[in-house]
Amino acid sequence: MRCSLFVCLIVGAVFNYGAGVDPSNFKTCEQSSFCRRSRKVQSSGSKYALIRGTLNTYTDSVTADLINKENHHQFTLKLEALVGSTFRLQIDEKQPLRPRYRVEHALKGKPETTRIRVEESDELTITVGKSKAVIHGDPFRIDFYEDDVHVVSVNAKNWLYFEHLRQKAQAPAEQAEGGDQAHQQQDQQDNSDMVQPASEPIDDPGAWEENFKSHHDSKPYGPEAVALDFSFPAAEMLFGIPEHADAFQLKSTSGTEPYRLYNLDVFEYIVDSKMALYGSVPVLYAHGPQRTAGVYWQNSAESWVDIYTTESNVVSSLVNFVSGSRKSTPPLAHFISESGIVDAFIMLGPKPMDVFKQYAALTGTHELPQLFALAYHQSRWNYNDERDVTSVSAKFDEYNMPMDTMWLDIEYTDGKRYFTWDKFKFPEPLTMIKNLTELGRHLVVIIDPHIKRDNAYFFHQDCTENGYYVKTREGNDYEGWCWPGSASYPDFFNPVVRDYYASQYSLSKFKTVSKDVMIWNDMNEPSVFNGPEVTAPKDLVHYGNWEHRDVHNLYGHMHLMGTFAGLKQRDPQQRPFILTRAHFAGSQRYAAIWTGDNFADWAHLQHSIKMCLTEAVAGFSFCGADIGGFFGNPDNELLERWYQTAAFLPFFRAHAHIDTKRREPWLFPERTRHVIKNALLKRYSYLPLWYTSFYELEQTGAPVIRPLLAHYPVDKEAFAIDNQLLVQQRLLVRPVMQQGVSKVDVYFPAIDDKKNGDYWYDADTYQRQERVGYESIPVTDDKIPVFQRGGSIVPKKERQRRSSTLMLNDPYTLVICLDRQGKAAGTLFIDDEKSYAYRTGESIYVSYEFANNQLTNRFIGKPHFKSDAWIERIVIAGLGYAPIDATITANGITQKLEIEQRSNGAIVVRKPAVKMNVDFALKLNAA
Amino acid sequence: MQQKNLQLMLFALLIYALISVQSVDVPRPRGVSLVKAALYQPQPDGKWNCIDGSKTIPFTQINDDYCDCADGSDEPGTAACPNAQFHCLNKGHQPVDIPSSQVQDGICDCCDGSDELEQSRCENTCIALGAAAAIQRRNEAELHMKGAEKRQEMINRGKQMKADRSARRSELNARIKEQESLKAEKEQLKQNAEALETEAVEAFKEQQRELDANTAQAEQEPQQMRQEASLTFVRYDTNKDGFVEVTELMVDMNLDRDRNGVVTVEEAKYFLDERDRMDLDAFITLAWPRIKPLKMLADGLFQPPVEEQAPQQETAKDAEQQDPEPSEEQADMDVPDDEDGEDEYEDEEPDVGVGEATPDIETTTAAPIYDPETQRLIEQANEARNAYEEVARQIREIEHEIKEIDDQESKDYGPNEEWSVLDGECYSFEDREYVYTLCPFDRVSQKPRNGGVETTLGRWDQWAGEGSNKYSRQKYAQGAACWNGPQRSAIINIKCALEPRITAVSEPNRCEYYYEFETPAACDSDAYTASAQSQHDEL
Repeated sequence: MRCSLFVCLIVGAVFNYGAGVDPSNFKTCEQSSFCRRSRKVQSSGSKYALIRGTLNTYTDSVTADLINKENHHQFTLKLEALVGSTFRLQIDEKQPLRPRYRVEHALKGKPETTRIRVEESDELTITVGKSKAVIHGDPFRIDFYEDDVHVVSVNAKNWLYFEHLRQKAQAPAEQAEGGDQAHQQQDQQDNSDMVQPASEPIDDPGAWEENFKSHHDSKPYGPEAVALDFSFPAAEMLFGIPEHADAFQLKSTSGTEPYRLYNLDVFEYIVDSKMALYGSVPVLYAHGPQRTAGVYWQNSAESWVDIYTTESNVVSSLVNFVSGSRKSTPPLAHFISESGIVDAFIMLGPKPMDVFKQYAALTGTHELPQLFALAYHQSRWNYNDERDVTSVSAKFDEYNMPMDTMWLDIEYTDGKRYFTWDKFKFPEPLTMIKNLTELGRHLVVIIDPHIKRDNAYFFHQDCTENGYYVKTREGNDYEGWCWPGSASYPDFFNPVVRDYYASQYSLSKFKTVSKDVMIWNDMNEPSVFNGPEVTAPKDLVHYGNWEHRDVHNLYGHMHLMGTFAGLKQRDPQQRPFILTRAHFAGSQRYAAIWTGDNFADWAHLQHSIKMCLTEAVAGFSFCGADIGGFFGNPDNELLERWYQTAAFLPFFRAHAHIDTKRREPWLFPERTRHVIKNALLKRYSYLPLWYTSFYELEQTGAPVIRPLLAHYPVDKEAFAIDNQLLVQQRLLVRPVMQQGVSKVDVYFPAIDDKKNGDYWYDADTYQRQERVGYESIPVTDDKIPVFQRGGSIVPKKERQRRSSTLMLNDPYTLVICLDRQGKAAGTLFIDDEKSYAYRTGESIYVSYEFANNQLTNRFIGKPHFKSDAWIERIVIAGLGYAPIDATITANGITQKLEIEQRSNGAIVVRKPAVKMNVDFALKLNAA
Repeated sequence: MQQKNLQLMLFALLIYALISVQSVDVPRPRGVSLVKAALYQPQPDGKWNCIDGSKTIPFTQINDDYCDCADGSDEPGTAACPNAQFHCLNKGHQPVDIPSSQVQDGICDCCDGSDELEQSRCENTCIALGAAAAIQRRNEAELHMKGAEKRQEMINRGKQMKADRSARRSELNARIKEQESLKAEKEQLKQNAEALETEAVEAFKEQQRELDANTAQAEQEPQQMRQEASLTFVRYDTNKDGFVEVTELMVDMNLDRDRNGVVTVEEAKYFLDERDRMDLDAFITLAWPRIKPLKMLADGLFQPPVEEQAPQQETAKDAEQQDPEPSEEQADMDVPDDEDGEDEYEDEEPDVGVGEATPDIETTTAAPIYDPETQRLIEQANEARNAYEEVARQIREIEHEIKEIDDQESKDYGPNEEWSVLDGECYSFEDREYVYTLCPFDRVSQKPRNGGVETTLGRWDQWAGEGSNKYSRQKYAQGAACWNGPQRSAIINIKCALEPRITAVSEPNRCEYYYEFETPAACDSDAYTASAQSQHDEL
């Protein structure tokens, strides 16, 4: 074809930019040798059995040997009981040719084990409290019971597939796909002194080397996949395993692609897709009306998950009802990983919130963020220079819109050399930062992991001299291509490299920022523009001689550990804020996430909620999506709706691609500006709720945003709903995510199977919804349906400020919505919103309770924090009568308070003016 | 106890707010301007009506740090009502209203510090600011005054230019009338001569017909062209749908007429006669004539035309010099000659000087040798044609000039023609990477400092200032298209100064440029005084 190289490049680039991702640039299961091999077992099955007489029983675990009856290879199995109805199952080769990788740093610590009781008969029964594991020897299978209900089975389908490490056969030539002869010889030398194990040949052409597009994977260690099936007899639906741009409920993958978990920088990702994205969190939940269980498959290699569910629909429910049978086959998940070992945590619930907390107990939670991190973030690729930053900040004041944080994307650096500034565009960064922080605002700057290969760049010099970069098989520094051009990647798996990296954040090194500047870690999948599937080759070598293959999904996580340590060392008093794109199980301890490079269309807006709900139950409550869409230009309506939606997701940031039109709120017509401002103000008014929710996340592991099933587990109608979300158990939000609608259907869930539900009060009008099921709720351009649950008390701050940090001393409003019994309760957490002092008791944690026409507060722990804030007003909805006034008693003094009327019978108690750390009782007085 | 303390404290605050108001004559609540003081008077019963009348509250609830009125009027001095305004007196400087969100937030927003209760935290900077502002106002007034003199000169010249244009326009109107009648006369003469010529030539041809054996060859040529065109069509039509599409043309670098390394959609569309796709027939008749020369050029087959094709030579040269602005002429260079004589007004720039009369005879084939009588008639006809063409050419020239004048007349040079003299001037500005140029009322452009192609950022579009400041901003649009983006455009923000110059250029949006430009034309002393006065009145 007549096409110069340049034109081809251009045409390729145009295609990339224009039409959304081309899925053919990424592997399908069939194109991935290990997935193809492991999936085959689904038709043939495998034959594994426990070896009699190898059982060892310990106080908290049992071990036994396992044999593959076809090739007689032996494995060891360990089943451990953990505190909190959780079992840990590990299977590894008994004598592997070389050690197999075991994931480190994902768990928040060594899980606490618990004492077991073992009974041996035909099966082996291990009991802990109400939980029980029953191990069957041949065929090998483990059934897990919660309070005698069978909730999880391991290997019920005999899809366990464990490729033991082996020597390469002597005549591999016919299998080769054009590999490098020198490599092969070297391998043979390396392995020549090892024992040849029993092995049957694996005749897949990709077993010992693999090509994809123009990339070659040398696979020196050959096939080493692990796979295992989990079935869930008490469940009706599965969810979890982010990150995918797909529905909350996992879909059956029968006859299609499995869900893929492989951290990738996918350019213009598409929605309704099981393709891999930036993060991989291999935790999966199985839910049914009576029981919820979960599996955390701890493996950091590329993984695929096949899902088999009888998609529940009206017809199938009817058939089941008529036939009187429950579903014939329980929902099932088949985890397939390229290397490593089987390391599965089986969490037995029994309720959704129990499982979420069990998972949080393993991998941790985000710590309480500084308040500003929960407020509004204004970002763009790029704010061009100091003047741009200053004037955008000033415009928010001019339009009297609150804004907390300005962001700088890659263009602030000197030629994409991180830890440096472009001296022409940003000659005085410290002054610029001071101008922001003096208004209570913050700055976040991007620091990516790719390092420009420039001999004059100190960071590159240090990494080169000290051997800090990830290596190729030959032992050279790996060179990829990323924003700076030729780049290398620090090996964050090496603790020395992490320490070095952390030290770069100290103000003595990174002198051009202040300790109030926080960090954005992007591109850390890692993204390598010229690498296979836009990431690093799998045969790169990391610290400890592990292949990139083994640890790929952890790379971003290790990057975050370095950054987090750096920020903590920089200022031990201040809680770090980090945003990351790549993530793995446990990354939530260090960073917030966002859903990456989305698009300015309605479908991506809809998926922002679906994706963040899944992330939230997988540990990442601190999740959001680029408001307006990263690519493309939203029209006024889409942008308005996006702000309204994003105001109810935990991470609230507007961001846009460099090629998009500017979209700061004042660039839009008056009406759009008004709607956006109201969305911002609504977010700021609920900050005390968000803040308290994050405190409680840290304390209990309870997600901040939740799917309906979290609190309405028996309502089958609610299981799959992913266009609504709960903020804790206090708010129900149903954003408007379609164009041009004047009403939306909101689902009010049932608390039992008799169609009883909670009361729900419209957060704007206090109009009450009493019925269960779908209700059509009218909306305007300025309104989305938000309801407060009857029985809850929500703390708010209704005064406006230019940034959240300036609201510290502003008074609170309590909104009390009564349940059917005329009661309500809710918590509030207060501290300095910035430091770790709350961990030594410098806080106020209070529970408000309303019953019998009286509001009281009860402090949880001592209210040691000195706050100037006070209670400005108390709104009470659902009273059913109009009190004439109220009496407040505090510090032994009683006085009368006025009462004002609001819409739909709600009342306002005017100005109780009681400080937050003071005990009080407030009584309503009827006529 | 604490509760009581708080109440006491709030009461004390209230007293403070009510009484210790700024030490100016009229007592009024904190945050209220003198103008509005009258609205804050208690009724005899100690009550007070919210300004919007929505509610009656005890007068003591004004500024009690609780929002009672829907319009926020009861809390002018606190942050309690989100929609309230706080009035900073700023004695010594300019008073301002700030939103309640900035009251009592720990940041000194008023220069007198009155927005923060602990005023000790805020330095009173009003006197200093006021003095600085006064100096600045004086300087600005002076600048406007001096600038206004220069502006007056510009006005005078602009008005003169307008008058000149008008006079010239009338003159041209008269001349064109003359020329039109002359043209009619010459046309009649031409027709007469041509009739005689045609008759003679036909007779001569009749004689020659049987001798002429070369006709076949002449016919062969279009057929050959058809074949070539078809082959190319097939090659382009990579998806074999029987149409050549824009995208299919975009891969052929020969079509990169501006040689910027990319065949843009616009470039490709040009070859497709501005259509999205074409079938074979349309391709042969419309696209191939445009593509062929570029092909030949690329293949080294296109020889620079020989002397007698003078006009074609020019255009061919243009093509080789990579004319950055694709022109129609280039397109026309291979179009069969039979379009001559009807395309004079299609081009933006009339091809003045190109109009040498050529008879409707193939120049490529050698002219036959006629008998002397026929030859004489042909020469007479040639003379008549030339005479006619000469008149036609003059008319075109006049029309061209009229068009120029009308273009200028259609431009808005300001209420006093003060901007007129800028038309035709160019100013430039250098930053780290680029040299930026502004030619008012024509175009703005950008050129890399280290050499390279100049890029048009926009062509004159309109005045774009808001409201009464219409003449403070210019917009240039329809610049070169950004790669994978919109067409470039530029906004010129204009300020008064004694010398014209560009002071800054930025690109706040991808492909949207922003110039800061200064010129005495913007020094309207009266307007400045008026606006300064109105600001002062607000004080």
